[in-house]
Amino acid sequence: MISTRLSSLRLAESICLLLILLFLSGCGQKPESTTITFAVGGAPAELDFWQVLIGEFQDRTGIKVDLLRQPTDTDLRRQGLITSLKAGRSDPDVFLMDVAWLGQFAASDWLEPLDTHNDLDLDVFFEKVLNLADRYQGHLIALPVYVDGGLLYYRQDLLNKYGFDKPPQTWSELLRYSLVIQKGERETNPDFYGFVWQGAQYEGLICNWLEYAGSNAGGIVFEDGRIILHTPANVQATQFMHALIHIHKVSPPNTYTEMKEEEARTFFQQGNALFERNWPYAWALHQSEDSPVRGKVGLAGLPHFSVGPSVSTLGGWHIGISKHSDAKQKSFEFMKFVLSFETQKRLALELSWNPGRRDVYTDQQVIAALPHFTRLRGVFENLRPRPNLPYYTLISQVLQRHLNAVLSGNSSATEALSAAEREAQTIVDRYAQ
Amino acid sequence: MPSRNLTSVSKSAAHELRTGCLFILPLVVFIVLFVLLPVLGTFINSMFQDVSFVGKRFYFFKNYEHLWSDPGFFKALKFTLLFILVSVPFELVLGLLFAMLLDQHIPFRGLLRGCVLIPWAIPAAISARTWELIYNYSYGLANYICLTLGLSTQPVNWLGTSVGAFSAVVVADVWKTAPFVAIIFLAGLQAIPRELYEQGRIDRANSWHMFFRITLPILRPVVIVALLFRTIDGLRVFDLIYVLTHGGPGGSTASVSHYAYMHFVSGDFGYGSAISVVLFVIAFVFSIVYVKVGRFSTEVL
Repeated sequence: MISTRLSSLRLAESICLLLILLFLSGCGQKPESTTITFAVGGAPAELDFWQVLIGEFQDRTGIKVDLLRQPTDTDLRRQGLITSLKAGRSDPDVFLMDVAWLGQFAASDWLEPLDTHNDLDLDVFFEKVLNLADRYQGHLIALPVYVDGGLLYYRQDLLNKYGFDKPPQTWSELLRYSLVIQKGERETNPDFYGFVWQGAQYEGLICNWLEYAGSNAGGIVFEDGRIILHTPANVQATQFMHALIHIHKVSPPNTYTEMKEEEARTFFQQGNALFERNWPYAWALHQSEDSPVRGKVGLAGLPHFSVGPSVSTLGGWHIGISKHSDAKQKSFEFMKFVLSFETQKRLALELSWNPGRRDVYTDQQVIAALPHFTRLRGVFENLRPRPNLPYYTLISQVLQRHLNAVLSGNSSATEALSAAEREAQTIVDRYAQ
Repeated sequence: MPSRNLTSVSKSAAHELRTGCLFILPLVVFIVLFVLLPVLGTFINSMFQDVSFVGKRFYFFKNYEHLWSDPGFFKALKFTLLFILVSVPFELVLGLLFAMLLDQHIPFRGLLRGCVLIPWAIPAAISARTWELIYNYSYGLANYICLTLGLSTQPVNWLGTSVGAFSAVVVADVWKTAPFVAIIFLAGLQAIPRELYEQGRIDRANSWHMFFRITLPILRPVVIVALLFRTIDGLRVFDLIYVLTHGGPGGSTASVSHYAYMHFVSGDFGYGSAISVVLFVIAFVFSIVYVKVGRFSTEVL
């Protein structure tokens, strides 16, 4: 009896001690921590790459870096960062962000301004990307690690076979080529479709839609607290997307249920499609050893409507430093290392990512290994961002829902866009102070 | 003498009380820490405008006011209520059938009882992913079967219509949770004294009568418990939606939890909390109604 009481007392004591220790360790406000925590997610190969890079950085500078491994899923990566930042935790110190979150993160005052560091050479980055995505209210808050933009992949061998000498410049040309070649190819391959793109209800749908809308001189307009979505240009672009699936039937029926980047890529890579809209990452995979379309693929800017220019939605990941970081100077050193010419070149050569630095695209060794980079550079000068609003995600949610309803045939483009505009406006009003 | 006896009795009673308190203390701490405080915290948070990019200030019921005029929320609420209205009855009926089957003396009964539990043991995200592969348009099992048997000449886009996606979600949920209901019912069935059935047989009751006059009334408290569990679980359905349909097509399968989550990710914690509180209140009302209808206090036998 006595012994059990003693031991339970001891247990209680040690628990208390542990709690006090935990409490104290949480409170300790050290001037500058000796290690930095770098949060990044991605495929296993990408995480391994970061691990190697961190090792080299440690050898060179003596600064210890902890790699906080995040999942591959974009939403989960964001959720993990928001939880730490909202709680004001000092870790992670430095992290990668999707370009679509920058508005929210900057407006939440979670990011350390970078303009105070004048030893940064900003001229090496794509100027448009910096101005559109990385500046918030005059402050530089992030820098591009790699840049993405929508591209058109096409089957060069099939265009030759049916006598088309160059990739389509306009959407109506794309439709015409698709109808002809789909009809011909169906005789031997019943699963063949003209054009695959991302139409499922997720962020990628907005990226695709902005390219159709923008190339019809439309898009999301935001001025004086008013958001405008329901315009003739947007309605026409949305109707065209619906028609690709339901009227002309050149895009498969699962476009609006399942088609995300990887679904579209595998569909095209299996040789079942003539055209594909995707990000630059697909190139290296289409050209891999076991790819059935290896050596048969071409790359071009996306088509446009007769009234607008070719538009490519800006994607990609940016690096920033937490305002709550306890090792800002060291984080900045690490950031400079990630954005150095050597590291960016390795990102291109080893992961075939598209660096945020322009000068990598003219490097002879890079061009020899990745000849398509010369073409990408031109596309990246003309990128169109998503609206840089702090509540962009909520607007995007509304738009995703209504656009996907149009693609599924449950709603007309006019109905959907006017409903989306109304709902988006209530969101704008809710946060406009 | 008697007085001394009395003090010793009261002493031992006090001791017993203390021991009793000690025993329930961990549970009380657990409930306060992980149930009461979060619920209170969420409620308090729902009274604030707590948006990461705007700041935090007291808001009274303004979040609820916004909620009232938010078509996205009502669409999610409608889906969620419809979802429990359809899936819970299926789960209960199937669960009861399984339970009655497993209550019989059939060969390999132990093995079968174990097997029935497997879908319940699989994490929801994984089973949702499995169903996603089954429904897949290009290489899914469902389309393979349909095309092989000649039921259809074209692949079917199962998740492509609102009705299709809704049914797909219900099927996946029933598959996963009917076993859970079956196990609860099985326990209830085993508690019914066999003599009652023998008595019924003597009175020449047919099996139909025996089911409705003996089995079901005695099972009632168990049915209410299963109903309660499934309704509350169904109200907060998230993982299945998140993995299987992402709320599509056109937002027709977005659940309330999914809607609250989207606001959390977008940085509006106050609004997300308000949605969670509404969900909590609905679940609470359901629970009270069930407990009242179930008449737990009245004796069955």
